[in-house]
Amino acid sequence: MNNKLSVVARQALIVLNVFALFLLLFSKYIVLPFWMQPLGRMHPALLHFPIVVLILGVIMGLRRFAVNQQANTSFDGYARNLLLVGALLAGTTVIMGLFLSREEGYSGEVLVWHKWSGASIFFMSSAMYWINDKPWFKKAVAWSSGLVLIAVILFTGHYGGVLSHGENFIIQPILANIQKPLVPIEKAIVYDDIIYPIFSAKCASCHNLQKQKGELSFADSFSIKKGGKTGKLFVAGNPEISLLLQRVHLPMDDEKHMPPTNRAQLSPDEINLLGWWVKNQASFTQKVLELSPTDPLRQLASKMLKGPEAVEDNFDFSAADEKIVAKLNSDYRVILPVAKESPGLDVRIYNKDIYTVKQLEELGEIKNQVVSLSLAKLPVKNEDLNKVSMFENLRKLDINFTEVNTSGLAAISSLKYLNTLCLSGTKISSSGFKEVLGKFKNLATVTLWSTSLSAQEISQLQKTFKNINFVEGFVIDETAKLKLNPPQVKNKSLVFSSSIDVALFHPINGTEIRYTIDGTEPDSISSPVFNNSTDISKTTNVKAKAFKQGWYSSDVVEFSYLKNSFVPDSTTLLCQLNSRHLAEGANTFFNKKLGVIGANNPAWANYWAAVRDNDLILECIFKSPITLSSFGMHIMVEEVTGIYPPKTVEIWGGDNPKSLRLITKISPKQPEKEEKVSLKFVEGVFASRKVSYLKIVAKPTVNLNAKDKTKKNNYFILVDEMFLN
Amino acid sequence: MDKNFFEQGFSTTRRRFLSTMGMGVGSVALGSLLMPDLFGGKNTDDNAFAPGIPHFAPKAKRVIYLFQNGAPSQQELFDYKPKLRELTGQEIPPSVRGTQRLTGMTSGQSTFPLVGSFVDFKQHGQSGAWVSDLLPYTAKIADELCFVKSIYTEAINHDPALTFLQTGAQQGNRPSMGSWLSYGLGSENKNLPAFTVLLSRGIGNGQGVYSKLWSNGFLDSVHQGVQFSKGEDPVLYIKDNDGIKRNERREMLDNLSELNSLSYNQFGDPEIATRIKQYEMAYRMQTAVPEVMDLSKEPDSIVNMYGPDCLVPGTFAANCLLARKLSEKGVRFVQLYHQGWDQHGNLPFEIASQAKDVDQASAALVMDLKQRGLLDETLVIWGGEFGRTSFTQGKLTKENYGRDHHPRCFTVWMAGGGIKPGITYGETDELGYNIIKDPVHVHDFQATVLNQLGLDHEKLIFKHLGRRYKLTDVSGKVVRDIIG
Repeated sequence: MNNKLSVVARQALIVLNVFALFLLLFSKYIVLPFWMQPLGRMHPALLHFPIVVLILGVIMGLRRFAVNQQANTSFDGYARNLLLVGALLAGTTVIMGLFLSREEGYSGEVLVWHKWSGASIFFMSSAMYWINDKPWFKKAVAWSSGLVLIAVILFTGHYGGVLSHGENFIIQPILANIQKPLVPIEKAIVYDDIIYPIFSAKCASCHNLQKQKGELSFADSFSIKKGGKTGKLFVAGNPEISLLLQRVHLPMDDEKHMPPTNRAQLSPDEINLLGWWVKNQASFTQKVLELSPTDPLRQLASKMLKGPEAVEDNFDFSAADEKIVAKLNSDYRVILPVAKESPGLDVRIYNKDIYTVKQLEELGEIKNQVVSLSLAKLPVKNEDLNKVSMFENLRKLDINFTEVNTSGLAAISSLKYLNTLCLSGTKISSSGFKEVLGKFKNLATVTLWSTSLSAQEISQLQKTFKNINFVEGFVIDETAKLKLNPPQVKNKSLVFSSSIDVALFHPINGTEIRYTIDGTEPDSISSPVFNNSTDISKTTNVKAKAFKQGWYSSDVVEFSYLKNSFVPDSTTLLCQLNSRHLAEGANTFFNKKLGVIGANNPAWANYWAAVRDNDLILECIFKSPITLSSFGMHIMVEEVTGIYPPKTVEIWGGDNPKSLRLITKISPKQPEKEEKVSLKFVEGVFASRKVSYLKIVAKPTVNLNAKDKTKKNNYFILVDEMFLN
Repeated sequence: MDKNFFEQGFSTTRRRFLSTMGMGVGSVALGSLLMPDLFGGKNTDDNAFAPGIPHFAPKAKRVIYLFQNGAPSQQELFDYKPKLRELTGQEIPPSVRGTQRLTGMTSGQSTFPLVGSFVDFKQHGQSGAWVSDLLPYTAKIADELCFVKSIYTEAINHDPALTFLQTGAQQGNRPSMGSWLSYGLGSENKNLPAFTVLLSRGIGNGQGVYSKLWSNGFLDSVHQGVQFSKGEDPVLYIKDNDGIKRNERREMLDNLSELNSLSYNQFGDPEIATRIKQYEMAYRMQTAVPEVMDLSKEPDSIVNMYGPDCLVPGTFAANCLLARKLSEKGVRFVQLYHQGWDQHGNLPFEIASQAKDVDQASAALVMDLKQRGLLDETLVIWGGEFGRTSFTQGKLTKENYGRDHHPRCFTVWMAGGGIKPGITYGETDELGYNIIKDPVHVHDFQATVLNQLGLDHEKLIFKHLGRRYKLTDVSGKVVRDIIG
């Protein structure tokens, strides 16, 4: 460096020292003009230069103290000049830094440390430059002052980093990866465990006690309540007018959007959590479980917490021999592993006729591995529970509906892991039950439905054993009287040829069925009680109703017993059936299969034969003549869907196809508008005559209201059975 | 001797040879799973899948699926929409309807007036769940249930939607959910099939259910659903013919099994081994089934709980009671179908009657399991194959209206089996047409059900025709938020 330049540089160093000292001492009174702010903001850019240059200068300057080194004036001068340049850069950086610190948002302990250590770098490096050529500047002084300077540089750099990037910036990725243990929901507090973690992760790097951007800090609840420069953070109960949420909800390109664009953003769930928290009065003490289960805040919060039963059972015993497990598995004893890689075994024993205590004894080989055992509905006795006590790792025992009683339970009270005990339907009683329950260590659930214990006794138990959940029987409504369902009929078909035994029944024991056959409504006084001795020999409507003490009587139900005396030897259709309702074709009409309401129900549709666009014409032939005096037809009528009775039914009869005469013509009653769907019986009675050939012609009703007059617009006829008597 | 050897050699196909090899390897894997310490170290190979063992400790061991076939209207049962009632008669805004395709039944309609529920809703239990007055019993147990209001499907007609829910694909030919569970978990009771099916129907407009819905698809035929029907012969062809004594049947089966074993040794076809097992199981079912199906010994308190219909074979109530008995006996998957929920028209009358059919028995089933201490290990599911539209189908009158199929949202409830009780998950918009929060795809729902049974839906795989099949096909994620 030429002399002139070095003189200027040295004088500049003195000026900078004075200026920096002045700024440090009187910083409180200085107001920085806005145009100088950019200068301050160049601090983070410039600071890297003095670091490098000073460290280089110190290290190079040490060279001349090394042994066996020849004096090298130009090299040493070089090192000294580096120190000068470094000190000048340090000075500039310090002044810029002091400018920057005047801007809002920087305060606190970290800033103080950074400021003074930064300034001391400048003063130390300046001093080192001045004393560098003094004769007493020997090896020891050079080394110690050099090391101190470098140490202070590192120290300052660290605090600077904390200021601009937040604490733990470097190891943050590692810290983030270390999973924090989830807080169990029972213990969680809304603010501490849900809201604060959001603030600390997404806000606190700029708004903390050290770096209070906008005079705002998220360090503690006090600062949060206090708010920042623009005002309070939130208005409890009113997220819409709360600054916190307004800033968060601003569009990304808005300058005031928070967090700033280049920082980690809030997730939608986090935004919702903050919103619901403010809406719920922004409490700092409320527990998650104090919120109602439907509260969105609770629902969102529970996503981030550990569920109440998430405690995994880790079995610490070794697995059983696979061959033994396979050997013990039988048709009535199923042993399954709880899960892949789990040594625990789940055992169920079936079939009360085959069960003996030996089946339990044999499990001795895997007694350590059985964690769940089901013996429900087996004739298990008290003594058998002595065998159960060997399964020391048992968690769940199901002995519902066994012969066990209270005194048997003592045998299994030593099972220290047993948490679920199913005792429904057993012979346990209240005497001594409390005492034996007290011996169990780990019980969490006990089922007591269908035992002799009364609701009162169970609630007493619940008071004594707060940690056990006692499951009672479920009573929907004790006082509710239920209505009986109507009687049913057991006859395979209601179509008969000469006579039939009416077979009414009711599934509920002790029910009385009363019935009529004259079309009147059955009642509980005058109508006969059905006792399986009703025999009918003509087409009859049986009406029946069920009665039982303590129940409402049933609705009246009607069964039509239909007589058909003659089945033709052959039937032939002389027309086409509708393609959707083919049933069994010509065999449909005398097969004793009655259809039910619901023409399109696939399983039943088959019993209904239908025509629409043409007449239904059926030809019946009898090998020997029959004496016919009536004709009947069972049909479905559903006005809304266009299923009507035929317009007319003509019965033609004679000795052979060529000598047919019209026997009768029936014109069934047509349905009312929107009449309810029903099954009907169409009948024609006439003077009896002998026939061996019959032709039945049913003509569909024409739909006069049809929109399209050009097409045939007939209503459907649906027939399942015909009757010749 | 040589001849035999060659015959066997020739009749073993390449595929069979490879699959037998697989079984050999599989059984070693099985051994190591049963005994983690077998090979000295911890078994870390997550891909080693052994059918019949849960992947991780399960919350539920069994499922009872109360399928409401025909798609019950969520608007009249669970999804309370006061705004929709207010707007009754007004046209649905196009912004809400979006580009949703319509079925052929409403695509010809010129207007789509909104219609609110004809029936009132109330909040019930501590959870404050909204339940319609049509379901008074369900309302009483609201705190036991988890209502998922935001389930949605891809299909718009019954059969594909039903097939999609049951098998994870719309086209059929895949194994049903129950078959997958039977495959994944094995049977808990060797005297009954692991997967049983019960049918019932109400008087509402019905839609068919077909046996393909409980098909084993490409899985081994032991996993297919067995239908238990009403009447004297609940399981068809299981009764001995008249005149055959039980010991004669035994003798016959022994001889048959001997012949089949010979045949198996010769051809090595795994279906022969399956057949031997099935004959044996059928023999044991001959005693087990009548015991299960006998409802006459149920006490009055149970009849009161399920309602008097529970003693009438073939009703939903009787099937619920049977479902409990089967489940109690270790049947992994009991699938009920109740038909008659397809209310395109005449909705107010039909839905009231359908609701009455199922309400008491559904609630009773949940509580009956609970009082036996079985609810925590049994998952009960109630729901249909899709939802119904917010607008009316056909004429809207004061008393009457209908609703068409709607795949975008519907409500399903679940109880027990480690599902959080007393919560409502997901939300639809004010008109109940679109989901606005936490959508649950059918595959998500299936993944969740499998998860509760200790099965990872991404690992429950069956390789067939060169492809690895899963119940959830290629998507699905477990809905963690409803898991307790």
